[in-house]
Amino acid sequence: MGNKNEYKVQVRNLTKKFGDLLVLDDISFDVKENEFLCIVGPTGCGKTTFLNSLSKLYDITAGEILINGEPVDLKKHNIAYIFQEYSNFPWLTIRENVEFGLRIKKMPEAEIKERVDYFLDMVGLKKFQDYYPDQLSASMLQRAAIARAFAVKPEVLLMDEPYGQLDIELRFKLEDELIRLWREVGTTVIFITHNIEEAVYLSERILVLTNKPTKIKAEISNTMAHPRDIAAPEFVELRNQVTDLIKWW
Amino acid sequence: MSKVIECKNISKTFESVNGDFQVIGDISIEADQNEILVLFGPGQCGKTTLLKVIAGLEPATSGTIHINGKEKTKPGPECGLVYQTTALFPWLTTMGNVEYGPKVQGVPKKERRARAQKYIDLVGLTGFEKSYPIQLSGGMRQRVGIARVYCNEPEVMLMDEPFGHLDAQTRYLMQEELERIWQTEKRTIIFVTNNIEEALYLADRVLVMTNCPATIKKEFKIDLPRPRDYTDPEFLRLRQEITSIVDPAE
Amino acid sequence: MKKRKKINGVRVGIGAAAICSFLCLWAFATREGTTLGILMPGPVEVFTHLVETTYTKVGPLTIWGHMFNSLRRVLVGFTIASCCGILLGLAMGWNRTLEAIFRPIFELLRPIPPLAWISLAIVWFGLGEGGKYFIIFVSGFSNVTINVYTGAKSVDPELIGAAKMLGCSERRIFPSIVIRSSVPYIFTGLQIAISSSWAAVVAAEMVRSTNGIGWMITAGQSVGNMEQIMVGIIVIGVIGFLLSTFMRGVESKLCAWSRVQDS
Repeated sequence: MGNKNEYKVQVRNLTKKFGDLLVLDDISFDVKENEFLCIVGPTGCGKTTFLNSLSKLYDITAGEILINGEPVDLKKHNIAYIFQEYSNFPWLTIRENVEFGLRIKKMPEAEIKERVDYFLDMVGLKKFQDYYPDQLSASMLQRAAIARAFAVKPEVLLMDEPYGQLDIELRFKLEDELIRLWREVGTTVIFITHNIEEAVYLSERILVLTNKPTKIKAEISNTMAHPRDIAAPEFVELRNQVTDLIKWW
Repeated sequence: MSKVIECKNISKTFESVNGDFQVIGDISIEADQNEILVLFGPGQCGKTTLLKVIAGLEPATSGTIHINGKEKTKPGPECGLVYQTTALFPWLTTMGNVEYGPKVQGVPKKERRARAQKYIDLVGLTGFEKSYPIQLSGGMRQRVGIARVYCNEPEVMLMDEPFGHLDAQTRYLMQEELERIWQTEKRTIIFVTNNIEEALYLADRVLVMTNCPATIKKEFKIDLPRPRDYTDPEFLRLRQEITSIVDPAE
Repeated sequence: MKKRKKINGVRVGIGAAAICSFLCLWAFATREGTTLGILMPGPVEVFTHLVETTYTKVGPLTIWGHMFNSLRRVLVGFTIASCCGILLGLAMGWNRTLEAIFRPIFELLRPIPPLAWISLAIVWFGLGEGGKYFIIFVSGFSNVTINVYTGAKSVDPELIGAAKMLGCSERRIFPSIVIRSSVPYIFTGLQIAISSSWAAVVAAEMVRSTNGIGWMITAGQSVGNMEQIMVGIIVIGVIGFLLSTFMRGVESKLCAWSRVQDS
């Protein structure tokens, strides 16, 4: 292991242009092993481009992304994604959806069963495992997506505003669940959102982005203990600090 | 003070082959002149139907609705509704949408244009008069929706989760904008939301609703000075107090 | 913007290259000495013949005359079909009673191909223009009707609700909301109808006529003039293409609101 694993993810001089339009401007940051990093930016910042570049869905114009000190390789590195749209396959049951990633990896049947049982239980969907996605509510689908992502035990988990369309209370509930899973399973999480309170609620560290062309405006560490109280003075202070950095409205 | 709107003992049951399904169970609400009344509750059930009943778009199973003393039974210009989906007419420009109400009611062109322009300016869309809805962003479309209702000068404005589809930051912006617009020209507003911050930011009174069938669980009078601060201790305290009594959504 | 122009340029270039390669392939396949070359003229002969027909008569008329006659037939039949189709489609979409009456008849008649009506058309309208108008009418009518009907059916009920709440009377909902939001569907119908009408006129002329592009082809066939047949075919293709392009142009002007604008 040694030195090269000090950082799980290293982003170096990430730059992305569409034609002449500069969208991501020389972004560099590191993420530690098992860190929970939140990235927030103003509406219309290159959030989606940023995420797509991180996941290598787009060709980046310049710079590199390293995982464990090596360039990202989706075949080699185990990266999972959770997006705002519940990306479950509609023709598979919830259980089959969670199994899907494991089957692709040709994992032994017994181990698949064990893991899927474990994670369905963790997110409280055991009872609903034989339902199809369109029979379940939005929050259940989001839970299924989380179970599916964690089941592959990803090295890095990328989340793009997964709770954007949920009621606040439901959101807090799922966020608590996410924190519990993350602590229990242990994985490096990069969580992108527009919601400042959410970022302060979840993260160990917050990266604040600027408007396009996107740069890193500030980096804020967040060491409050979980569970966090949204009305605690230090929470409010941090929330206001991030809001002031972003506020365009 | 006189009540602008009085709804008495409203209930609504949908009948289907699988049996009856009650979505609203005996609700009575009333609102004063220029008051913002927020109906807050989890889930999708009941609140939107209640607004539709008040708007006259859905018949109530029982109960009566009076607006300034007149009984309301069918949709008409005395109520204006801002939809979550905006429901703008896609073939009309911003101007066309905003002046639609006065136009179909026969207001002369010059007068209705002037009135529409005033509200387009009020909601901050000056310069976008000739844009079609498809060319506008989500927040801007909702501004058109608000201007369209304002321009029709209803006695009561109903808002059905108007900012539900917007991202968190645009949502804050629109809440502040609605507050500003309302401060400039006060109206009676009944506002439905499942977002507690939004409810507390806007409301003079919050009615906390139960989920399916919708009933009123508790009423909160919000006396915080306007414009409000989302991180003010009293705001946060109220937020936690209200969310603690809300039924879980599932 | 600049980028889009460039992409369009590339696309046009590729299209032109594809057509050129097709012409080359045709020329190659019909070159001196091949069997196909004996049966069929090459592109150069066909093009020469096309130019000739613009000033020398083919039968009674030059090619312009034939084109005019075919287009006139299409225009008459298509206009009648569009008017009837729009009226019936809107009526069926808006009024449940009318829908219940006309929908079953319409669904039964719809699958019948226009050409199946030819014998009846001759019996009813004789060998003159009437029968041809009828065939064209039949081929356009159902396309317009079904699209307009779909459009009128799929008006967003929220828009109707919104209009009522803004003070729109029941009677005005139809012109103010239903027709307006059906416009894109109407145009889809018209576009399909103009293409199928154009196809039908050629078929109708091939059955029985003394002029028109369809007649040119059958006449060419009876005297074994392959060039004339090929000219007819190419003219049909080009005019069909121009008609649908024209309709699309009108549509994009009138329905700008339903399209995603470039930002």
